[in-house]
Amino acid sequence: MQDIENDIRSLVAEIIEKDPAQIKPDARFVEDLGVDSMMALEILAGIEKKYKIAIPEEKLAEFKTLDSIVAIAREYLSKNA
Amino acid sequence: MIFKDKIAIVTGGTRGIGREIVLMLAREGAKVVFTYVKSAQDAQALMQETEALGSKALGLQIDVRDFEKTKELIEKTKSTFGGLDILVNNAGITRDKALMMMTREEWLEVIDTNLNGLFNVTRSAIVTFLKQKSGNIVNITSVSGIIGLARQTNYASSKAGIIGFTRSLAREVAAYGIRVNAVAPGFIETDMLSGLKEELKSKMIENIPLARLGKVEDVSRAVRFLLSEAASYITGQVVVVDGGLAIR
Repeated sequence: MQDIENDIRSLVAEIIEKDPAQIKPDARFVEDLGVDSMMALEILAGIEKKYKIAIPEEKLAEFKTLDSIVAIAREYLSKNA
Repeated sequence: MIFKDKIAIVTGGTRGIGREIVLMLAREGAKVVFTYVKSAQDAQALMQETEALGSKALGLQIDVRDFEKTKELIEKTKSTFGGLDILVNNAGITRDKALMMMTREEWLEVIDTNLNGLFNVTRSAIVTFLKQKSGNIVNITSVSGIIGLARQTNYASSKAGIIGFTRSLAREVAAYGIRVNAVAPGFIETDMLSGLKEELKSKMIENIPLARLGKVEDVSRAVRFLLSEAASYITGQVVVVDGGLAIR
């Protein structure tokens, strides 16, 4: 399960153009990392593609930290399993 | 066939300009989902007509004023045809009246269908376009929204709103490979004009430099152009198809 967190951290890092080490699990995306709505959508699309799952766009509002995204990804991975 | 295997949505597809746009897309090889509110028989006939053209179309009874239904429209399109490439926001109504006689309901009904409806459908579709980093939107506005026409304060306001929407969204999503344009028809021979008296029609024609009413094909050809690769460097524009009526 640790792998998911690391994979998503790298994916987020690539999209927001930051060093993965800078993305702490509880760092706030908007306030601390400067993530905008379009980046959030790219993160969502990236996760959907990587894990071949569908995450409803309503979930975007819950993309607040790395932790929260990992939790959402796990939720939908288990639903699709 | 320039839109071969593309998947398109046309709102308000059973009559007038919308119907001609559905047929144009079908002739060019696209699979089309169109919406209608009242005319189930017309929808059936249009589906048969597109099939005869060797294409596929699906008519859905959806009122664009209902946001939840417009979300279903996008989902249904993707599940039926496997994607979404083109959106033509055409659905619109008129409730012409002098402002002093216009009820608040007549004002709201037009704004709700023409402008809020366009928001509903586009909002529902935009995430799909953003995710796939491609998409093509054409909004049908009107010369009324550009030069203003008496007895159309409601309609002209909704159509001017569509122009602002088109320009703003075009800037917002250009980086994602999505183009957004509008077509502004002038006086086109459709049901919308059929209620007018002949003498009023001839008076209208006197004001048109090209001296005739427009045909639905005049409009669909402009839509075809904006949706095509030939327009790949064009976004946020309003193409006026009015025989010169609105020349400024």
